[in-house]
Amino acid sequence: MTEYKMFEGCTIGNRIPFIEAATRRVFEKLGVETSEAPFSCCPDPTGFKSFDDDGWLAMGARNLCIAEEEGKDIISLCNGCTNTLRGVQHKLKHDSLKKEKINSELSKIGKSYKGSVDVKHFVDVLRHNVGLDKIKSAISKPLEGLKVACHPGCHYMRPHEWMETDDDPMRPKTLRELVAATGATVVDYEEEVICCGSAVSNAYEEIGMQNLKRKLDGVMKAGADILVVNCPACFQQFDTNQRTLSKEFEAKYNIPVLYITELYALAMGVSPDDIGLKYHRTRLRDIEPLGL
Amino acid sequence: MVMDFEFRKQVMDYHQGSEVIKYCYQCSRCTDNCPVSYVTDEFYSVKYNPRYNILNALLGYKDKIFSADPLAIWGCTVCDTCDEVCPQKIELTEVFTLLKNQSIANGDGPDFIYQQAKTVIENGKAIPMQSAIERRRQQMGLPDIMAPNADELQSLMSNMGIDKKLK
Repeated sequence: MTEYKMFEGCTIGNRIPFIEAATRRVFEKLGVETSEAPFSCCPDPTGFKSFDDDGWLAMGARNLCIAEEEGKDIISLCNGCTNTLRGVQHKLKHDSLKKEKINSELSKIGKSYKGSVDVKHFVDVLRHNVGLDKIKSAISKPLEGLKVACHPGCHYMRPHEWMETDDDPMRPKTLRELVAATGATVVDYEEEVICCGSAVSNAYEEIGMQNLKRKLDGVMKAGADILVVNCPACFQQFDTNQRTLSKEFEAKYNIPVLYITELYALAMGVSPDDIGLKYHRTRLRDIEPLGL
Repeated sequence: MVMDFEFRKQVMDYHQGSEVIKYCYQCSRCTDNCPVSYVTDEFYSVKYNPRYNILNALLGYKDKIFSADPLAIWGCTVCDTCDEVCPQKIELTEVFTLLKNQSIANGDGPDFIYQQAKTVIENGKAIPMQSAIERRRQQMGLPDIMAPNADELQSLMSNMGIDKKLK
């Protein structure tokens, strides 16, 4: 299989590396090969892009240049990084004047953007390059009886012109298929494609919390045991803020949150200690099919 | 209300396919599907309203946009839902990016955005590495993260004058 350049991103690499640990274990078991590169911040499509769009394009293009120098596609572990790198690619492909401008800036630091490498979200690599059959055969501890709510997150599939996934941007199914491959049951809830509230929290925390509440109310109403995500910003929003939310609204929010690769690592027989599950803020309750 | 034609032209030029934004017929699918409008809706008064932003941008009502409560711009959570549901294929989030960029240049953006941009430009990462996390990575058998060339990145940003927007 192709070797990808690993883009773990600032949040996973430098704040919650236990998610990277689980992901690398799963990649190892499924034969996804990666190598490192000196990437900078992507930079993120909600903060830095809002600060300066041209700066966002230039910094993103510089990261793409680094992968181009090695002629390898990028695998991203984060929705935001994937969204930025694919968005930069899309804009420079369809706006030749902008591409000229960015390239003239890049030439001053000895770089040139061509548009020759692809950027893949790891969820798409698992679903389409590895495939469900191979995943199913790697699962040694099926999670039958576990009820899972999925949250793919906005920047995995929107805007669809950038992301070019096979998924419907308002009715995504890839994460659901990946979860179902473990034997777990995917539950429906109305708020599945709604934002977790992470980005708006940077300016208006109370609005972010109201978004979070709306999501979690839906997840609880659906009777889910856990919530599965594939974005570190969403993961942090759900995992770290439930305690605050419980205090603010005098209710009990304690839905365990797992990254899809953490769920896979457990279903593939990896020990919870090896992937740092103890670093989760919302405690993983004694849910039987998980065998914790 | 004064129409600022220069601002109006900036909005048109910013949108890929500058004519497209004129096709907005104010149907309100954007606001109806916006998660922030949903939670800031108080009895027929929506505090964050993407439909108004597009209308005001389209009409060149610059003062109306930038003299309002910053929530009118910064309430956007960048979920790109409005882009997907718009029947006229207007890239609303891109227009909102232009509004945010101008708000930043005016010095009116949220503190977090300035702080984060400063961290990114200074360190090459939005979250600088800490020794505790480095140790944790080693304990879990993770490879060291290759440091980005922050000097090169700073040159790129200062050549473009982006660091001048920092506070």
